[in-house]
This record gives sequence, C-alpha cells and structure tokens, in this order.
Amino acid sequence: MSSPAPLIAPREGLAEALKKLLGKDLLAHVQAVGEDSITVRRDAVDGVMVTLRDALEYQQLMEIAGVDYPDRPERFEVVYHLLSVTRNHRLRVRVTTDEVTPVPTVVPVWPVAGWLEREVFDMYGVLFSGNPDLRRILTDYGFQGHPQRKDFPLTGYIELRYSEEDKRVVYEPVRLAQDFRNFDFMSPWEGADYILPGDEKAGGTGEAPGKGAPTPMTADQVKKADEAKAAPPPTPKTTDKPAQTGAGSKANDAAAKTSEDGAKAKPASKAKTPATAKAEKAPAKAKAPAKPRAPRKPKGGDA
Amino acid sequence: MSNTSILTPGQMPVAPGTAPDQGFFDDLNAEVGDKGFLVTTTEDLFGWARTGSLWWMTFGLACCAVEMIHVNMPRYDMERFGAAPRASPRQSDVMIVAGTLCNKMAPALRRVYDQMSNPKYVISMGSCANGGGYYHYSYSVVRGCDRIVPVDIYVPGCPPTAEALLYGVMQLQRKIRRVGTIER
Amino acid sequence: MTDSPTVRHHGSDMFEGYPVDTADTAGDQAVTNYTINFGPQHPAAHGVLRLVMELDGEIIERVDPHVGLLHRGTEKLIEYKTYLQALPYFDRLDYCSPLGMEHSYVLAIEKLLDLEVPARAQYLRTLFAELTRICNHMLNIGSHVMDVGAMTPNLWVFELREDCLNFFERASGARMHSAWFRPGGVHQDAPEKLLVDIGEWCETRLPKLFGDAMSLVIDNRIFKQRNVDIATVSKEDALAWGFSGPMIRGSGIPWDIRKSQPYDAYAQMEFDIPVGTKGDCYDRFMVRVQEVYQSARIIKQCLRDMPSGPVASLDRKVVPPKRAEMKSSMESLIHHFKLYTEGFHVPAGEVYVATESPKGEFGVYLVSDGSNKPYRCKIRPTAFSHLQAMDMMAKGHMLADTTAIIGAIDVVFGECDR
Repeated sequence: MSSPAPLIAPREGLAEALKKLLGKDLLAHVQAVGEDSITVRRDAVDGVMVTLRDALEYQQLMEIAGVDYPDRPERFEVVYHLLSVTRNHRLRVRVTTDEVTPVPTVVPVWPVAGWLEREVFDMYGVLFSGNPDLRRILTDYGFQGHPQRKDFPLTGYIELRYSEEDKRVVYEPVRLAQDFRNFDFMSPWEGADYILPGDEKAGGTGEAPGKGAPTPMTADQVKKADEAKAAPPPTPKTTDKPAQTGAGSKANDAAAKTSEDGAKAKPASKAKTPATAKAEKAPAKAKAPAKPRAPRKPKGGDA
Repeated sequence: MSNTSILTPGQMPVAPGTAPDQGFFDDLNAEVGDKGFLVTTTEDLFGWARTGSLWWMTFGLACCAVEMIHVNMPRYDMERFGAAPRASPRQSDVMIVAGTLCNKMAPALRRVYDQMSNPKYVISMGSCANGGGYYHYSYSVVRGCDRIVPVDIYVPGCPPTAEALLYGVMQLQRKIRRVGTIER
Repeated sequence: MTDSPTVRHHGSDMFEGYPVDTADTAGDQAVTNYTINFGPQHPAAHGVLRLVMELDGEIIERVDPHVGLLHRGTEKLIEYKTYLQALPYFDRLDYCSPLGMEHSYVLAIEKLLDLEVPARAQYLRTLFAELTRICNHMLNIGSHVMDVGAMTPNLWVFELREDCLNFFERASGARMHSAWFRPGGVHQDAPEKLLVDIGEWCETRLPKLFGDAMSLVIDNRIFKQRNVDIATVSKEDALAWGFSGPMIRGSGIPWDIRKSQPYDAYAQMEFDIPVGTKGDCYDRFMVRVQEVYQSARIIKQCLRDMPSGPVASLDRKVVPPKRAEMKSSMESLIHHFKLYTEGFHVPAGEVYVATESPKGEFGVYLVSDGSNKPYRCKIRPTAFSHLQAMDMMAKGHMLADTTAIIGAIDVVFGECDR
C-alpha cells in the first residue's frame, strides 16, 4: 500500500475462522484494497453478528450503510462496518435485500444499531424486522419517499414557502428557476446511444448504441432529404390584394368607433390606419395575458 | 435655539465606523447643560434607539453560526454596536438566520419569527440562507430563507467572515435610519 | 415513584406546631410525567437539536432526540458531483473541524486510487489536522464551560480559535471552509512564515491563554459539581453504543485511530492518549483538555521533521498542475481542463476509511463504479451514535444536566444530520 490511508494489518487466519464459525451462512469473503468484506445470508445476520462479536472480538458496530443497485434483483445492500478494538481490525458485513423483504435487526446485539437502521430505513426504505423504533429519522416530518434511492430525484418533489394567506408554511411541488446542470463526461466521443445534451435539435443519429460515428449520407440521400424538407412549399407572406391587408368594412367599422377615453384620444385614433388600429386593439386583449410572467410568489412580509 | 438641538439623521453620530464628531458632542453637552433638555423628532429618536440596540436572536443553524459566535467574541465584539445576543425571540429585534435552512426546520424558523415583537428585522447570513447556495438542489433544503421570512439584509459568503456579518449589521442600521418610521 | 407520582406536602417539619394534614386532600392532584420540548431553537442545544423529554419533576425519565433538522442531503448531492467538487461538502459537515472531515475523504480516494502522497503533504496534513483538533476543542471546551455557567474561559479560548482561523486563512484563503486537503496532497504549500508563526503560537500564546482559561475551571468547585458523575458510561456501554474519540477514551478505553491505525505522518509522531477513569462528563472534558496539549506536541514535531518537496502528488491524472505550469506547457493545460471539468476517474471498488476526527471516528464509506462521480458516499458521523446514547446517559439526571451532557458529547449537527 502506498497511499497514506489508515494502516490496518491483515488478520491472520480470519478466512478460516469465518468459514468455520459461520458455516453456510457465509456466502462470500472478499479481500480488496486491504479490507475484508463478507457477504452473509440475510436471515442469519443477527446470529452472525453475535458470533462475530463474541467469538471474533468485533466489539463495535461503527456504521450501517445502505447502497442501492436498481438493476439487481435484490437491489439494496445493507453494509455493516465492524471494528475490533482488541484485534485492531475492521470487517465489513454485507447482506442484500429488496423493498419488501425485511432484514433481521441487530439492535439486541448492539443498541447503537437502532438509529443506524432507522437511517437506512429512512434513506432506502429497507425494513428491519424487530427494530423497536423504526421511524424516519433524518428527513422531514411527514416526508414521502426514500431519498437515497437512485430513482429519487436530487431535488425531490416538494418545496416549502410561507404562505401569507394561510399564515403558515406550505408545501408545494418543486419548481426550479434553473435546472441542476449535469454534465455528461462519460459519453464516448462517438456513438452515444442517446441524444447528447445540447444536441436535441440535431434529432439524434438514430443509430444503434456503440455503432460508431454516423456514416455520412450519400448524395442521393441528401437530395432526397432536401426534397422531403422542401415538399410543402410555405405559403408566401404577401399583401398583394386588399383582402390580405385585413382592411375593409369590418376594420373600418372598428376604426370608426370612438375609444373609451373619448375625445382626448379621438384625433389620434382617427389618424390611425386600420391596420394599426387592429394591431393596437388585439394586443390589449390577447397579447398581454398570452405570455404572462410567471407570477412572483408572495414573498411574505411587509418589507 | 442652535441647530444642534435638532437631531437630524445627517448629524447623528450613530453611524458606526465613523469617528464621532467631538464638536457635535460638545454642542450637545452645552445644550443639555444650558437648557437641561434636547429637542428632536420622535422619528429620529426612535430610529436612533433602534439602531443603537439591535438585540439579535441567535438562530444558528449551520456553519455560519460559528462565524456568528465569532463576531460576538472579543476580537470582533459586536456589542460595540449595541447588538447583543438574546436567546429568546420575545426580547430580540433582529434575527440572524445563520446557515442552511432545511425543510424540517422551516416551520420552527417561522414560528420564532412570529414570536418576535415589532419592529423586527431579519439578516440572512451566508449563501445557504440567501438562496440555498451549495445545497440549492437538495431535496431537503429551503432555497433561501426569504421563502419563509422577509429578509432585510443579505450577507453573502460561505460562510461570510465575521467582519462581513458585522458590516451586514451596520448596513441594517443604515437601513433602519433611512426608512425608519414609527410603525413599520 | 414513577408509577403514581403525586404531589404531597413536603417536609411537615416546616410546619411544626401547626396542624398539618399530610394525607391526600381534595386539592391534591395526581400528576403524571410531563413532556417538554427542548429545542430545536435553544442556545444550549449546540445547533438544531430537538429533544423530547419526559420528566418526572426535574428528573429525566426518557429522552427522544429528534435529529435531521439540518439534514441537507449531502450524501445525495455528493453522488451528483465529481470527486473534487464533492470535497467542500466535507468542510461543511462538521463546521467546527472542517479539515478533519476532509481528511477521511481524501484518504478514502487515495486508498481507492492507490495514490502515493509526498512526505511534505503528509506532514502538512497532519499538522493542520491537529490544528483543527485544537480549533475544535476550543469551541467545544468553551461552549461546554459556558453551558454550565462560566463565561470568561469561553472568551479566552475563542481568542485562540480566532488565531487558528487566521492560520487556516493564511494557508488556504478561507477562515473556515478551507478545502485545502486534496486527493494527492494539499492544495498549495503553506508559507514559511506561517509555519514559523504556528510554531511560536504553540510555544507562547496557546499554553498561556489556554492554561489560564483552564485554571479557572478544572479545579473549580461549581464546574465539578456540574460535571463529575454526570452521565457515567461504562466501558461495555461505550463499546456497545458505538462510541469513539474522546467519548470512548473518557470511558477508559485507550482507543485512538491515530495510534492504532496510523495514517499520513502519524506513525512518526510521538504523543500520548489521555484516558478517563470514570467515564463521566468531567472525564470527557479533561480528555479534550489534554488532547489540546498533545496536539500542540504533534504540531511541534511536524514542524521539526517536515521535509521539503512537493506538496501534492505529481500524478497529473489526479492532481491538477499549478497555474504557472499551464502557461508554458500544453499538456498541463489539457490536464487542468480535464481535471476541472470531468475530474479524475476512480477505479471501481469500495473502501471504508475512518480517521480520528476531533470528535471521534469519522468514516467515509466510498463506493466507486469507475466513473468520475462517487456511486455512493456514506458518511459515518460521530455525533449520530453519541446522541443516540443520550437517552441512556441522561436517564435519572436532572433537567439542568442535559446541557452538560450535550456539551460533553460535542455534537455538531452539520455532521450528525448530513
């Protein structure tokens, strides 16, 4: 090991001892980057922990971490980190589970597990059978969902503000002024199997993933594509005939009407051409409410 | 009557950071010594009283709370400006929201704010309180404490240094002098 | 007593000579335990702790700490940032000892990368980790003393804390959130004068001010009455409840990760581990007081033995080049661009690295899938386990002892709630 991370000497004879003591409850034992981790049967985890504590001297449970792998059949891993203060060694114990299968609690073995399991339940929704107090712990009172799951959005679903009308803090669906910018540095230079951010207008290549760069189109294809594009010729925007101007008796009638503010505006309205009159009338009705600014939320208060 | 008897905002020596004008005090002293009283407007008097005793509510939430403590400690000594920390909202005039305001905490923040008596001011301290900052996109963070309480002064920084908060308090005093009315 | 607590006339001798009926009268009411809500906004709660306490008179029957009032979703946010972008989140976890938090994280990354760190960087990190420890203990000791009623020592030790913050500022540019430890070393070298000043400070100001402040409290009768025999924790309990740091050492277990699983330059350091005898609040307090002196000792050794050389790994696939290099070298420019946009990739694997942060074992369980962002970064906070034992520790004590217990736990919510 060349990195300056905490030095932990490998424990002699650990693999054999684990095999002997845990028997068929031990599913796997992996040593990687100088750390021992074992996978055990889910149903046997409480018994295994007693064995590890009493026979192998792992006196302390330091941490229970959940990890979510959504594409596995048993998507959650519950990872216990044990510490032996007498043998100066750390051991990682892993069980897998899914959303509905409970994991036996280890609270009787270590009381500290109470909150640690509560946290895993809160963050992942992993159930622990036998935990005397399996409430949410970190998230808001009345929170819904399990935020650390990979399918839970970073920004969540709700946000808070103080409502002047209700005189209390209200929950609303989340609305961001600017989305979280997530740059994708993992995409290959060519042949991404999805539309790259910023490339939406290009329409994507439609190629199968991993096929490499799109082949340039042949001359015929280009011609064909151009023809396809050009097929419906756009109607020319001209005002050749009087009918196209919008002028006529209808517009004249409208123009003849006096505006509401009467005499003051009269000379001006008379001078107007029918086209401008129409243009002025219409926006008053349609344009203003057509694209309203998002109403500012009441910020509350008298400042 | 000399013009020193009227305390106008421009003449008031309460602007923190500026050296007190000795001549002003001499005049004032002479005035009081001569007549035994001073004449001023109630508005000026109230503004002066308000800026001079900004008792603040310790609403330490996260990292900024540490700098908020530091500003009260001997090196920066915010009490020079009449700003003393109070533990009770009933006794305080200004609330310094120092740190990330989380969803779980927001109703408590509002309740504390509602308990403060008028006139009350809010200083939002640090990026998190200003607009979520580093935690803006989190599922559990209020994106700015101005969604919950009206804010008078925003102090930027992550965390703002103690000096920055001190400057923020001075800015609040300026604001009170400028817009101060009897009913706010 | 707990089953049917009733209000009775106390001490009938008070009314000697008067006919006092000590039997239950019509006016007497049976009172049940009552529940009070401590926090979330309370000056002695060290942040945003909410305690729901069941009291029998003034005796605590049950404590249900509600945490999560500062839950900021740090672990989730880290999964959306590159390894380097996620580093400053660690500063903001335990904002009383920012560099102690970074330490675990950078060590975890280095362990997964199997990255060698130059000796000077290791010494600098050790030095500043110890300075952080002093800084943290100043805050904790000061506030603990203040919570039990003494004001003056707090003012003095905060002056020392102010010195520490100045040192951090001179090293990194920021008073608190330095982001100075980086995977592969530290961000930039500490100026020569700064190291000289730190050495001088450890010789002069620290022992003088700290010694003065502590002379006011450690033998003080009132302070002892508030702390001795409060919240006694046995060795067995300390192990079962997952204690670490000054909490486990206060209970008499000489366990210090710096000693038993040395990281960075701790293997070369000579220092003692203070251990308590009874496991009460006073022991925890005294362990911290002694640790300050031991930290000063380590700092002096670091300054004495620190070699010269680079302050960060020269592996340009992890550590970005300095700005000056970029001006002349195309390759440096490319590395700089790639490292600050995409970041470095960490080989797939998982690692749990725990260091002795000022508050105890601060661990980072890092799962990498080979990309430039952590797949999962579980943070093992110290205060979480300690606070959970609050019920066990506070049971049977008076309400006023709560502040002493919380003070001795040294809880900081940025880290506890994440």
